[in-house]
Amino acid sequence: MRRITLWLLSTVAALVLLFSYRTSTMGAGGDTAAVSPAQPGTSGSGQSGDAPTDNDAQTSQGTTVDGSVAQTRWGPVQVSITVSGKKITEITVLASPDGNHRDVEINAYALPILRQEALRAQSADIQSVSGATVTSDGYKESLQAAIDRAF
Amino acid sequence: MTARARADIAGLAAATSLLVVVARWAHGGGLRELDWSSAGRLTGLLSADLLLLQVFSLARIPLVERAFGQDRLARWHRWTGFASFHLLVLHIALISIGYAVPVHTNVIRQLWDLIVTYPGMLLAAAAAVLLTMVVVTSVRAARRRMSFESWHLLHLYAYLGIGLALPHQLWTGADFVSSPAARAYWWTLYLAAAGAVLVFRVGLPVVRNLRHRLQVEAVVPESPGVTSVYLRGRRLDRLPVRAGQFFLWRFLDGPGWSRANPYSLSAPPASGLLRITVKDLGDGSSRASRLRPGTRVLVEGPYGRFTGEDYRGGPVAMFACGVGVTPFLSLLGDLPYRPGEATLVYRARSSGDLAFRAELEWYAANRGVRILPMLGSRGSSWLPSQYAGRADIRALVPHINRHHVYICGPDDWSAAVRRDALAAGVPADRVHHESFAW
Repeated sequence: MRRITLWLLSTVAALVLLFSYRTSTMGAGGDTAAVSPAQPGTSGSGQSGDAPTDNDAQTSQGTTVDGSVAQTRWGPVQVSITVSGKKITEITVLASPDGNHRDVEINAYALPILRQEALRAQSADIQSVSGATVTSDGYKESLQAAIDRAF
Repeated sequence: MTARARADIAGLAAATSLLVVVARWAHGGGLRELDWSSAGRLTGLLSADLLLLQVFSLARIPLVERAFGQDRLARWHRWTGFASFHLLVLHIALISIGYAVPVHTNVIRQLWDLIVTYPGMLLAAAAAVLLTMVVVTSVRAARRRMSFESWHLLHLYAYLGIGLALPHQLWTGADFVSSPAARAYWWTLYLAAAGAVLVFRVGLPVVRNLRHRLQVEAVVPESPGVTSVYLRGRRLDRLPVRAGQFFLWRFLDGPGWSRANPYSLSAPPASGLLRITVKDLGDGSSRASRLRPGTRVLVEGPYGRFTGEDYRGGPVAMFACGVGVTPFLSLLGDLPYRPGEATLVYRARSSGDLAFRAELEWYAANRGVRILPMLGSRGSSWLPSQYAGRADIRALVPHINRHHVYICGPDDWSAAVRRDALAAGVPADRVHHESFAW
């Protein structure tokens, strides 16, 4: 076989193998992983126009209020807060970017920090976590909306 | 439009494109949130932009060719090629660090993770490998050890590399997915680059060869080691070539045909036949003397700015060294000089090495061209050694500063003549020079 033919065949074979890998075509469908829809269960809740009471749940620990869905570059962020008296006692993340492995990794360390900071400050006026600026911004936006509704 | 105006337009377009990339990055928050990843994004974007600019600069787009000339474009290609490769390496390193730092993983593990889990990243990794291969084989030490054919084949993989890098930009590139304007910009650039290559590097040569069907008509020895090849073809009057231009020639006479060689026309193109003149330099050029009439010939071109396009009459001085005399044999027939206005300084080792004596004498007798053969061994300047310190460019061509100057010969020699001409007061835009040694 001539050398050039060998080159061509190997190139084509390598390309076929490359494109058969799952990440090599995953973006082609138009619905990219980076903008995955909000998780089930959060859809519809906390959208603008909803009266806060619609989503409020009275528990023994206090009232739970959902924040708005903050659309960030990497996906939606939504939190809900539990209010007891005049105090935020708990913050739960309903949605956070999970389009890829890295988002999950970043959120795994950033979200606990944000929760802790917000509980300490009792407000959404907290520092962003470095390396997770986008999620932090979304977190603060949703948290502010929840606080606005609850108080 | 003058060559300078074309150069301004093309240069402005290239600079604008780099500026747009930086501006879009800054606008997208790259500067505000400056960190490892954001710096990594910028280097990646600039690397991609430079890669595409290289495709444009070597796509043989007529406007670009005529503005800069292939010799200059080839030099820039080398420079921008290495620059974009260094940016690519930085991009990979910065992004890996930027993704690893916030999650406290090790950089190498993070890089592996990026390659195997992110959309389009395996393809991008393959692209980086291909581009690295292209760069490594183009480093001078490596290039010298390879045949032209192998090097050229490997170099074509740069196109594949550029293509394979595209998906990861589309699917994970923050500056790509974030705004419609950025998407539109990059798609336009990619599609235009692909279009330019398909039209000017593939389509146009195919159409020209199908239309003109060149073949060897005759092979004539001119002087020791110098051979003229006459070519005939169909409708040569419709071939848009000017005197002084060159084609890339492929003679279909057997193995090795795939290597193209650049040869200037050595006769005015209006005569129904084309003529090139080849000196045997021991590489592919020795084939010319063994060509047989009827051999099919493929050409790319015409290329080159060594023409009378900017010459509107007046004194003209031509400097030829050795086989560099060939384009002057077509220029002498093309330029509209008056008797006594043209001088040809023809540098050769001995009178036996002077080619085309009969033709040059014809121009001397019929068009009043002053022919100055400068014979002798190589000295410290561009003149033969016995002239050292006794003659200079002003003495050879009085009032050289009022002349249009054309220079063709080996690189070092041409550069020396050019220096002397500029020192003698010839404006730079009147000095025409083309290098064939790339």
